[in-house]
Amino acid sequence: MKVEVSLFGAFRDHEPGAAVTLEVPAGARVADLRSALAAYGRAHWPGFREGLLLRSAFASQTCVLGEQEALPESGPVVVLPPVGGG
Amino acid sequence: MGDFLRRIVDVEHERIDPAAAMEFVADPAFGGFAMFVGRVREQNQGRAVTGVSYDVFEQLALVGFDDIMRRAQEQFGSRLKIYLAHARGRLGIGDVAVVVAVGTPHRDEAFRACRQVIEAVKHGSPIWKQEHYVDGSSEWSEGCSLCESHERDRGPESRHDGHAHG
Repeated sequence: MKVEVSLFGAFRDHEPGAAVTLEVPAGARVADLRSALAAYGRAHWPGFREGLLLRSAFASQTCVLGEQEALPESGPVVVLPPVGGG
Repeated sequence: MGDFLRRIVDVEHERIDPAAAMEFVADPAFGGFAMFVGRVREQNQGRAVTGVSYDVFEQLALVGFDDIMRRAQEQFGSRLKIYLAHARGRLGIGDVAVVVAVGTPHRDEAFRACRQVIEAVKHGSPIWKQEHYVDGSSEWSEGCSLCESHERDRGPESRHDGHAHG
C-alpha cells in the first residue's frame, strides 16, 4: 500500500514539497515505514543522516505512534525529528 | 477549556503579545501570576545568530498543548488560567518565540505551573528550531527525541526491541 509521509524540521531540507509517498506491505507497522523511509533517504537524499531518522518518531495527525503499531488506515503519517521549541 | 488558551502564531501575519497573555490569565480571585517569555538571542554555543525559523506540526502541537495544560490543572488544581503561544516562521533577534502565562490564587502554584508548562513545551511539542548564522549558514537545533519519550511514557513493558535510537 502507498503511504504519504509528511516531513518536518531537518527532513524538509531534503524535499521541497515536505512529503514523500512510499510503498509498504499491507498491514505494515511503523517499523516497516521507518525502514522504507531509510531506504528512500539513502537512495534519494544527499547528506541523509540515518541517525537522525533513528531518533525520529512517527505520528498520525493526533498522536505519536509506537514502533509496533499498525500504520493508520487513512491520512498521512508524519515524521518527527527530535524537537526543540521555545 | 475556557480557562486555557493555546495558539500557534504565524509571524508573517501576527506577533505574540505578552500583554495579551497576562490579560487572559487575569482574574479578581487570583493574586499570583507568572509569565515566561522566550526571545531569540544573538548567540548560541559561541556562534553569532541573525535569526531563527520555527517549523511546527500544528495539529499535533495543539493536541499536545491541551494535554500539557490539562496535566497542569491536575497537578495544581482547577483554579488556574493558562495562556500558551508559540511562534511559527522566521524571527529576528529579540523577537518573542514563546509565551507562557499562568494565573493562580497564590504565587507558588503560578511559578511551578509556568515552569512545568514551558519545560513540557520545549521537550515534547512537535516544534523545530533552525538557527541562521552571520556567515549565511543555517542549522537545525539538536532536540529531544519524541520516539524515546513516547516509549518511556508507555512503560518498559511496551517498549519495542531491536531498534536503537541513536
